[in-house]
Parts: sequence; C-alpha cells; structure tokens
Amino acid sequence: MGDTDAFAKLEMELRRGVVVLATLSQLRRPRYGYELRQALAERDVPIEEGTLYPLLRRLESQGLLHSEWQTESGSPRRYYALTADGRRLLKKLTEAWQGMNAAMSRLLKEDG
Amino acid sequence: MSADDVIESYVNDVASQLPRRQRNDVAFELRALLREGLQDRAEAAGRAADATMATEFVNSFGRPDDVAARYRPTLSVIDPADGPRFVRLTWIGLLVIWGAGLLEFVGQPIPTGWDLLTPLSKWWFGTVLPSPWWPGLLVLYYATSAWFRRRGPQVAAWKPSADDQISGGRAGLLLGMAGVVVGCVVLANPTMLLDVFGEGRAAPAAYAALTYDAGFLQRQAPWLFGLVLFNLPLMAIALVMGRSPIGLRRVETVHSLVTCAVMLWVVFDGPVLVTPAGDQLAKSLMLLIVVGVLLYLAVSRYRQVRPAPTRTGGADPGASGHSPSHSPR
Repeated sequence: MGDTDAFAKLEMELRRGVVVLATLSQLRRPRYGYELRQALAERDVPIEEGTLYPLLRRLESQGLLHSEWQTESGSPRRYYALTADGRRLLKKLTEAWQGMNAAMSRLLKEDG
Repeated sequence: MSADDVIESYVNDVASQLPRRQRNDVAFELRALLREGLQDRAEAAGRAADATMATEFVNSFGRPDDVAARYRPTLSVIDPADGPRFVRLTWIGLLVIWGAGLLEFVGQPIPTGWDLLTPLSKWWFGTVLPSPWWPGLLVLYYATSAWFRRRGPQVAAWKPSADDQISGGRAGLLLGMAGVVVGCVVLANPTMLLDVFGEGRAAPAAYAALTYDAGFLQRQAPWLFGLVLFNLPLMAIALVMGRSPIGLRRVETVHSLVTCAVMLWVVFDGPVLVTPAGDQLAKSLMLLIVVGVLLYLAVSRYRQVRPAPTRTGGADPGASGHSPSHSPR
C-alpha cells in the first residue's frame, strides 16, 4: 500500500515535469482545450482537464500561446496555438528534454 | 436540477474567484468544455447526462477553489522555506504571551472552586483571545522579507559566518556596554529617573514606589548588581578580541544561569520595593526576563548542530563528545 502510494506520488511528479512540454508540442497547430486533451490522451499523456485548461490560460498570459474564439461551426470554441516565443521555447525545451532523456537512459542502463 | 444547472453552478463558483477582466471569458470557455466533456461521457455510458453524472464529472475536474487557483499565478504569502520557522516562532511567542499573562497572578492567593473562574476568565479574555496579534505580526514580517528576497536575491544571498562571530559587531557591543552602565546607574538609584524626567516635580508617592526595601538591599541587591556589572568585563573581552570564543560563551551561559537563579531568589523572597504595586511590577518584569533568558538558552541548546552519524546499532562516533558543534545565532 505504501509502495503504491509512493509510486503514484512520484509518477505524478514525473508527469508534472513534462506537462508544459507535452502541451506545447501539440499546439504547433491550433487546437481547442477538449481537443488538445483528447490528442494528449491518445498519445498516452493524459492530463486532467482541471490542470490543462488553466495551464493554457497561463501560457497565453506569458506570451507563449495566442488564442481566438471560433464560432462559425456549431458550439463556440477557443483555439490555442504557439506564438513565435512559444515555438522558440518549445525548441529549447525539446532539446533539454532529449538531453535529459538520453542521460537518464544511460544512468538507468548502468544501474540495470 | 439538470446536468446543465450543475455545470452552470460549477462554472460560476470557479469564475467568481477570478479577476474581473478574465472572469466572463474563462466562464464561457469552461462551460463549453465541460458541456462537451459531459456529452462524450454520456455517449460512452449510452444514456443521457443527468445531474448525478454531471456532478461526478465536475468533481473529477477538481474543487472550484483549486481550479480557480490554477488559473492564477501561484501566490504564497509566506515562503515554504519559512514555514517551519513561522510555526515554531508562533508557538513560542504564544506560549510566552500566555505565560506573561499569568504573571499578573503571581504572589496572589490561589482561589478555589468557582472563584478560580474569575482569574481564569480574566486571563482568557485579557491575554489569550487578543494573542493572535503575534502570528499576525509574524505573517507581516515573513511576507515582507519574502517580498524583499524576491526583489533582490543578491542582497538576500547566504553568506558564511564564523561560529565565534559577535552578533551586532563591535558597535553592538559598545552599545550593550553603554546600556549596562546606564542600567546599573538607574538600578542603583531608580528615583533618579523621576529627577531627570520629572525635573523633581514628581509626586512623593512616585518616589516611594521606586524605593528599595531594606531587606532586599541587604540580602540580594549586592549579588544582583554584581552579576549585572559582571557583563562589562565579559563584553570588554569580546570587544578586544573581536570575537566570542567558545570559552567566553560558556562563561556567559553560566553567568546567565546564575543571574536567573538570583532573580528567582529575589522574586520568591521578600519585597524588592516598598510599595506592593511597584514590588509586583518589578517582580513580574524579573520573571519575564528569567523566562526569556531560559527560553533563549534552551532554544539555542536545542538547535545546536553536532555533526554525527545517526546511531544504527553500532557505536556512535559522536558519543565521545568531541565533535565540533555549531550554535545557531
């Protein structure tokens, strides 16, 4: 029971670290909140709506995303996409992630 | 209540906590997203969405307070790093305040039965209930220092300090020595205060209130004044050396303990001042000083760091008592 709790907490910490990168990676093209969540879940990165939707607003307020309402087809939806700053950040974060991932792979292989 | 009502209620509870400029826009988006999510859930369940399903759905989204907090930048009034110290100081301060409130009753006969309720309620309403001013003051202090740290991280950066460093430096020591000299002069002749500040026009009762009892002058006064004066050579040594080595600090600790013992002797022996009111006030102040000094010594001892491995069954290398220690200042 204790191990399960510890695992759940630590796994959540790991996931929390990649939430921003995962979100930015799926906004190279415009998506609205629910669609983005589905896209992430389909790629095995489920993010709770209660975390994802506020995150989009925070990233937008930091100038990394821009958004606009689209009301033409059916229900109104707010679409988010990367800004130029967001693209630059995504590139940097991707490189950092790949570096960390490679380093961790080496570490885990040594200990395995 | 319909599923839509549940969503409306939830969206309202979230959005009402957001800044006005983004409130309506977030509410509009959140409502659309929740409706779409609920619709998908209902389709997956093969039935129409109802209030129960909607409540379950929005609950899985998170409490409205938590979700609203995620829309805003994180705000911490007290830095998490300051949290333990804040809690510790809050409790220490409250215990001192509550204890000081009890000093008023020192020397008075202890009532029994229902009569005990009178001093207890006086203490409760006069001391305990107003005491949250202390944690309030601490919140203000820690919030301000956190703000300054965030504004100027370079200024707030950690700097090494020697274990024998004098807190306040030489200037502080000189000020302390001046304070001891002035304090001794005033203690030797307290009515001098009335001459200085009242220009000799104070009422005779005021002079009487500051007149020492003959018994006190004969028994404890020489010890007490001697101990207060003994601070001067201790401070002078530190002033000349420019530091406070371990030997000197040990002498200071013993000196503080002996002073506390003599002050307790004074408090629980005969009168200090000839008038009862003045005597009680003087004794209350002395008790407060004793409590403060003992608390300081106890906390310093408790917080002392003696690097040593935790005993895990074998011999404790730190048990020989020869590992260096570091006293927090």
